[in-house]
Amino acid sequence: MKRIVTAILSTVTVVVLLFGYHTSTSGALATSSDTSVVSELPRPSSGATTDSGTGAGTSASSGTTTFDGSTAATRWGPVQVQITVAGGTITDVSVIQYPSGNPRDEEINGYALPILIDETKQSQSADIDMVSGATVTSQGYLQSLQSALDEANL
Amino acid sequence: MSAAVAPGAQRFVAHAMGMPISLALRGAHAEDSAGVRAWEDVLAQVVEVDRMFSTYRADSFVSRLGRGEVTIDGCPPEVAEVLDLGERAAERSDGAFSVWRDDRTGARRLDTDGIVKGWAIERAAAALRRLPDTDFCLSAGGDMVCHTALPAGQAWVVGIEDPLDAARLVATVRVRRGAVATSGSAHRGDHVVDARTGRPPTGVASVTVVADRLTWADIDATSSFARGPEAAAWLEQRPGRVGLVVWKDGSTTTIGRL
Repeated sequence: MKRIVTAILSTVTVVVLLFGYHTSTSGALATSSDTSVVSELPRPSSGATTDSGTGAGTSASSGTTTFDGSTAATRWGPVQVQITVAGGTITDVSVIQYPSGNPRDEEINGYALPILIDETKQSQSADIDMVSGATVTSQGYLQSLQSALDEANL
Repeated sequence: MSAAVAPGAQRFVAHAMGMPISLALRGAHAEDSAGVRAWEDVLAQVVEVDRMFSTYRADSFVSRLGRGEVTIDGCPPEVAEVLDLGERAAERSDGAFSVWRDDRTGARRLDTDGIVKGWAIERAAAALRRLPDTDFCLSAGGDMVCHTALPAGQAWVVGIEDPLDAARLVATVRVRRGAVATSGSAHRGDHVVDARTGRPPTGVASVTVVADRLTWADIDATSSFARGPEAAAWLEQRPGRVGLVVWKDGSTTTIGRL
């Protein structure tokens, strides 16, 4: 996959390879070199409140906010992840856009999953700083999830 | 069940080497210009490494070396360093790991991608280590270097993605000073092959390795994954390694203290 992606991007890598931005409220950050900004992660759905309705049981006194990860184009189609945050806690992770025509669509779209499933059952309420997974290119779920985490910037 | 995102970390995201690079910073320089300069330094180094090693650039040193157009002596010292790492990785994996592969035409091709990412991020992280009283977690496509200024500082919490269901995590691991790397076929399909057979590994869905340095965490994750059914047994005998093997049937094997 990386091969395919890079092949597509190879003609523009020199110009495009490097762009940086702050994901905090300070907004876009110009990098020192003469590179172009290609795209930015979407801003959080500002103040959007949703009723997660998952009955997670946490006291969502301060309301909930959703953060959309960037839409990632994969060989199978676009993927986008959304996290729901309430009181500094992720209460829901859902795939809001998944490649169409995939037989697992319905199954996956129907999921409303907690983000943390600890095999050791010892850190169920632990904070998550980063996600480690099989190498992704600038595409894919992990990117989308990571970008949503980055965007939440709690 | 729910999880919280750790409070207080400043986050940066960029794309380089065809993958997302994420940085979380905490502490003295998390929000000042020294922190931003260190981040820019990291990205500049990654771009520089990509120019040297990209197999997708015909003019990279690695591409020219693979075609025999230049000798190692004619390359920057980093190239020899990476090739040396490649030789050690091949030895330690009994040949399952190799920087040489046969392309579709059967021609032998130099491909250092399996080494360069971890090595490059480890190396670039030096700019962040120089920030006093600052913690960082620097990730490239899911492989990361973690550091806390204080040896007993607040650990970084890394979620390990479920290779069978990308919407879930299978485990978390806490790291103060160390590295986490995962190798698997979840996002890129069968891009890892056992160099001994030229075939994708069977039975194993992903291997996560925690080690003190990302260079070897990354190499060991790939080497272990490439061995398929022997993934856990191989990782067990690597000194000091901590890891998690997820099998294709969903079962898991932990190695060390995970």
